[in-house]
Amino acid sequence: MRISRDTKVVRGVEVRDDPAREACFTIVHLHHDVPDAPSTTPEGRLMRAHREYNQEVQTLEIAALCLVDFPTAPWELRMELARQCWDEARHAELALRYLTEMGGWKGMYPIANLDWSVVAMLDSLPARLAVQHRTFEAGSLDMETAMIPMMRDMGQEHAADVKEGIDTDEIQHVRFANEWLRRITDAQPRAVLEIAAAMAWLRKVVEATGLDSLKDIPTSDENRQLAGFTQAEVSEVVRLHRAAIGASTLPGEPGNE
Amino acid sequence: MLTVKERGRFVATLRYVHVSVMETLAAWVPTTPEMEVKLLFGEHVWDVAQHADSLGKRTFELRMPLQHSVRAAEEYVGFLAEIAAVGPTPQRLAAMYDVLLPALADRQRRYIEHTDKLVDAPTVRILERYLADTTRMTEAAHALRREIPALQPADRQWAAALQTREASLDLLAAAQPEAVAMGA
Repeated sequence: MRISRDTKVVRGVEVRDDPAREACFTIVHLHHDVPDAPSTTPEGRLMRAHREYNQEVQTLEIAALCLVDFPTAPWELRMELARQCWDEARHAELALRYLTEMGGWKGMYPIANLDWSVVAMLDSLPARLAVQHRTFEAGSLDMETAMIPMMRDMGQEHAADVKEGIDTDEIQHVRFANEWLRRITDAQPRAVLEIAAAMAWLRKVVEATGLDSLKDIPTSDENRQLAGFTQAEVSEVVRLHRAAIGASTLPGEPGNE
Repeated sequence: MLTVKERGRFVATLRYVHVSVMETLAAWVPTTPEMEVKLLFGEHVWDVAQHADSLGKRTFELRMPLQHSVRAAEEYVGFLAEIAAVGPTPQRLAAMYDVLLPALADRQRRYIEHTDKLVDAPTVRILERYLADTTRMTEAAHALRREIPALQPADRQWAAALQTREASLDLLAAAQPEAVAMGA
């Protein structure tokens, strides 16, 4: 089945048009137009749960699109993407359950689908794995890991347990992408160029749209290693992180206490 | 009794159909507005992928390559493409859960009736698991339609006609099947 490849322009950058959404949702085009407040407040928790609900749905949509767009990808990799579809569907249900338990509802805040709009523009599977799994999902993993102790401190034990459960799935998603990127780039060195081009394009989108909202999140070494990053790659992420926030040390590191 | 070649051809053709169904469900995920339905399709992408995978392992045991697919009869391929092109959500649900999945389950029940259940026990086990999964999947879709009445099909005749057409089609290609590397 052919899926429309319509595009839209956001701050001068051409990105993929939004995936289908119900009329109850107001769609905005930049992350900073999605309402946000500290998670220490009830309103902030509602906003976060609503944002995560749409985020999980987008991740499901990206995995599903990879199955459609790359029918000749290795079967084992397609199986990983198919499994990811189910995982993300469950995560979205969990986010909605949490949202409704707190008295929220779908469509109560505006949503942005920028991850989809960026990743769905890429016409190479290694490029999508590098941007979506290795960058966006690995970044989310770092953020979730930082959130869990905060949630426990606030007495939200059940929500923290759910987050930990979700993390175990997300680690596997990043891990399979890391494994397959190594296998693909070993077999087809040209894929490295596709990945480099995709990352350069991502930087352009980030600069134009302020997509990167992860600058103040410490990198989770343990989860990244579980997800198949080598120690050298984790160190590189930390180095890039330092460069991004202009700091010589990171929160939690000696010298920054 | 079905020969090894006949059994292999049925299993590899069924794998072709399951890969196609997986791709249809995946294509419907970003193009279906209703979130609950999107999530249902996302879950079932994994169910159908597992069916294709089990069938693809069985093809190897039946003297074909691992994860081997044989293209279905051309008219059946056209029928699958027609279902994939359906747009409105109530019709998508009807085409998948009232027509295609139950029809494939019927074809597998007929296969189980004809094959030697001891000689071909590994295939029978795979198909029986599939039948249990299909029941769960169709029940989930029906439950969702009960929960959200707007998802009920407006035109029941349309699904009935689709059902009749599916029943009239051959699944297996008549000529020497051409092997295809579909997702292998």
